[in-house]
Amino acid sequence: MSGQIFWNGTALPYRPGETVATALTRAGVLRFGVAPGGQARGIFCGIGQCQGCLVQVGARLTEACLLPCRDGLMVSDAGGPQHG
Amino acid sequence: MGDPRILVVGAGLAGLAAAAELACAGHQVLVVDQARQPGGAVHRQPLPGARSLASPAQARRWRALMADVDAQGARIEIACNTRFGGVDHTGTVLLTGDAAALLQPQALVLAVGAREKVQPRPGWTLPWVTTAGALQVEIKTTSEPPAGRVLLAGSGPLLLALGAELVRLGQPPVAIIEAARPFSHPLQSLALPPPYMVEAARHLARLVRARVPVFTGAALTRISEHEGALLAEIATRKGSLGLAADRICLHDGIRPNDTGLTDSTALPVLRLGDCREALGAAAALADGRAGGAALAARLAGLPAPAASSALAREALAQARLARIYAHDSAAALAALPADTVICRCENRTRADLDALGPSPTTRQLRLDGRFGMGACQGRFCADWVARLARPDAPQPLGIPRWPARPISVAELLAAPDLTSGEFE
Amino acid sequence: MAKAQDHDVLIAGAGIVGASVAWHLAEAGLKVAVADATGPAAAASGASDGAVSVASKKPGVMARLATGSLLYTRELAARGLLGPAYAARPSYVFGAGEDEMAAIDALIAKLAALAGPVRVCADGGPKLLPGAGAGIERLVVLAGEGHMPGHKAVRAYLAHPRITPLWPARINAFAADDSGVEVDLGGKPLRVGVLVAALGTSTPALFPWLPVLPRAGQLIVTDAGPVGALPGSLTAAAYLLAKTEGPGREALPPVVIDPLGTGQFLIGSSREEHADPTRVDFATLRHLLARAAAAYPALTERRVIRAFAGIRAAVSDGLPIVGPMPGSPRVIVATGFEGDGICLSALIGREVAGMVRGASPGAEWAADIAALAPARFDPARQECVA
Repeated sequence: MSGQIFWNGTALPYRPGETVATALTRAGVLRFGVAPGGQARGIFCGIGQCQGCLVQVGARLTEACLLPCRDGLMVSDAGGPQHG
Repeated sequence: MGDPRILVVGAGLAGLAAAAELACAGHQVLVVDQARQPGGAVHRQPLPGARSLASPAQARRWRALMADVDAQGARIEIACNTRFGGVDHTGTVLLTGDAAALLQPQALVLAVGAREKVQPRPGWTLPWVTTAGALQVEIKTTSEPPAGRVLLAGSGPLLLALGAELVRLGQPPVAIIEAARPFSHPLQSLALPPPYMVEAARHLARLVRARVPVFTGAALTRISEHEGALLAEIATRKGSLGLAADRICLHDGIRPNDTGLTDSTALPVLRLGDCREALGAAAALADGRAGGAALAARLAGLPAPAASSALAREALAQARLARIYAHDSAAALAALPADTVICRCENRTRADLDALGPSPTTRQLRLDGRFGMGACQGRFCADWVARLARPDAPQPLGIPRWPARPISVAELLAAPDLTSGEFE
Repeated sequence: MAKAQDHDVLIAGAGIVGASVAWHLAEAGLKVAVADATGPAAAASGASDGAVSVASKKPGVMARLATGSLLYTRELAARGLLGPAYAARPSYVFGAGEDEMAAIDALIAKLAALAGPVRVCADGGPKLLPGAGAGIERLVVLAGEGHMPGHKAVRAYLAHPRITPLWPARINAFAADDSGVEVDLGGKPLRVGVLVAALGTSTPALFPWLPVLPRAGQLIVTDAGPVGALPGSLTAAAYLLAKTEGPGREALPPVVIDPLGTGQFLIGSSREEHADPTRVDFATLRHLLARAAAAYPALTERRVIRAFAGIRAAVSDGLPIVGPMPGSPRVIVATGFEGDGICLSALIGREVAGMVRGASPGAEWAADIAALAPARFDPARQECVA
């Protein structure tokens, strides 16, 4: 079943079986927030190794490249120094 | 109480081949994988409705392996969306995700594959600079080319393969920047096994037909953002040039994905496939089979079977490939400017490393320099830090430490404890 | 005539105690070398939580020395030396159940008796600390303590220009005579005036009759979040019980949650008798984390990025060993701090430097320092007693 996820509150379509990382990539989202070091976050290795594509689900950080989309999933960027 | 199962981590070629051998010998096997489907990096399966981009030979290999797995029926259980958290000194394994548990398997097979080596370069942390492998996974999953112009840079046969794949999808790369000069070793190339030659020839033919510029003996020296795109500075043998792209994919070879994999004396722990030695798909399959059979023999108290000749053949071929792609990466590393980010997790630069003085100890690199201390545990910086800090005698940046990957405290606390249960 | 000396003093061990001794001697004008088998802060000092805490010390000698060292650490920070390493911060001690209530009462009584720089500002429930969870029945807020990551202090001390670093190099053997000490440093002979051995868990390699044992503590490091959300360390009273009564005497997990300058948390710690820094187990980690999360629920949303065992150097009678070796006044040991080296290093460094230079200890500390003398384990003396 296909549906939509919410990226920072904006609805994005996804395909069944897709990860949040691919859904965001296809939607042209480059920046997944700011890491504690101040650098932009985004996809790098794509296989759950580099910790670059961390996004927030609720208060919890998780790798977008390993996170399966499901209908109604609320995902937000991993914030920045201002809010973690 | 012990769990009667053998746990295999990684449902790629090595893991599934080992699982099939173990099940065939009568063992109950639990295979876990972090992805949503078996396949690993090489046989990453397309999304429902997307067509597979696998070559006929690849597709045959995968179908044959899955047939072996299916033939074992209920003796092999595969749990996807499940992550291996590590094994402790009591032999307890932590799994999180769909099959979350603390369990004590009879034996543990780690078949978690390879990861890419990516040499640091100024600008390599910019968004939409990814590894070549990341793009490959994306393509295999969606069977669509990425949006915009793609530039491939670094070193290794994967760059040509990925470039050819992009041509096939109607989106040829802007260029391929290869640090080595692989075409100037004809004798070495001729000694490669025929499948390697056939594949390389097919890739090259595609790239030539699409007029993709392939620069050899060339290096991408800096990436910057310019007017909404990425600008790559390239040093070629004939001078420098700038290329604009929307996505830059870097790749400098592969290595075992073994960070954070600790051993345990409480149970047999085996590493198989690329996570033992990165030798590619054919070797991973052979190693998985041989390793699975060897473990089954060991558990039955039987002598170890003969070593795999296929594995030896692949190791030889990979050694030849390594010579074909040999180039002076030390010079490129030494020439990195001071502002180059080395540790991606914590944004630590070449200047931060140099500030530690000559020949810093491993502890100084970690504690004072904070290299290898970030969430990736040094997966993408440790090798380079070691080489930059002590070019003459690189020291490993640390000992393997649990966890194998960052684990949420909530998930660690919630994993059901199966170690105290009774099994029949 | 005395033989030529390579250095006035050789310090064996580049942990926080050795580094502090080295700095104090260098500051007094002596030529000092520091040798270490690995390098600076390679063992307990590098793995420590960095607490400069009086609250966690055993009443008596240790609490008094900790008080003096805390004041002196502040002074060294104000003078600039430890400025980049030391920061004042509040500390919180929490408890639940009868044993921990009693431990908190004892803590309050101890601090009152010391009448030192650490005082109880509040004694109440979890409401005293934003973010505190239901796992906290009673919470006391302390003012006056501080935080000093061991490796930062070591770096500051060892930066003194009169200190010669000698690492990696292991001391294989030594022989003291009337005018100095001959040392075999990694096969190379070295002549020094005095040898100070601040070797932590490696002490028995050179001093087999000193009962220094490794005591491991499992530690958990989380990923980074907002800096300063938890203003200071949050310590279960069970941790105080484990420290004062010995391991295994506490009923509840002896957990300490330490906020790091990076926005990460360091969570500890067990007390186990082994020396393997990689040895952790899920049962213990869950035991510690479950209590940590009940005390400070925001931890649930963090990720563990590293877990390891810090190896402390413990002494059989629970007190450090500091002083000249019986019969060898030119060989001085300073070891066995079992994690308290961070707090005690400033004062111990000053006092040991005084011993090296032949100064008599200040009257204020003479009795407490004497209680740490290695002579209490002197085999000859024990035979006499027997």
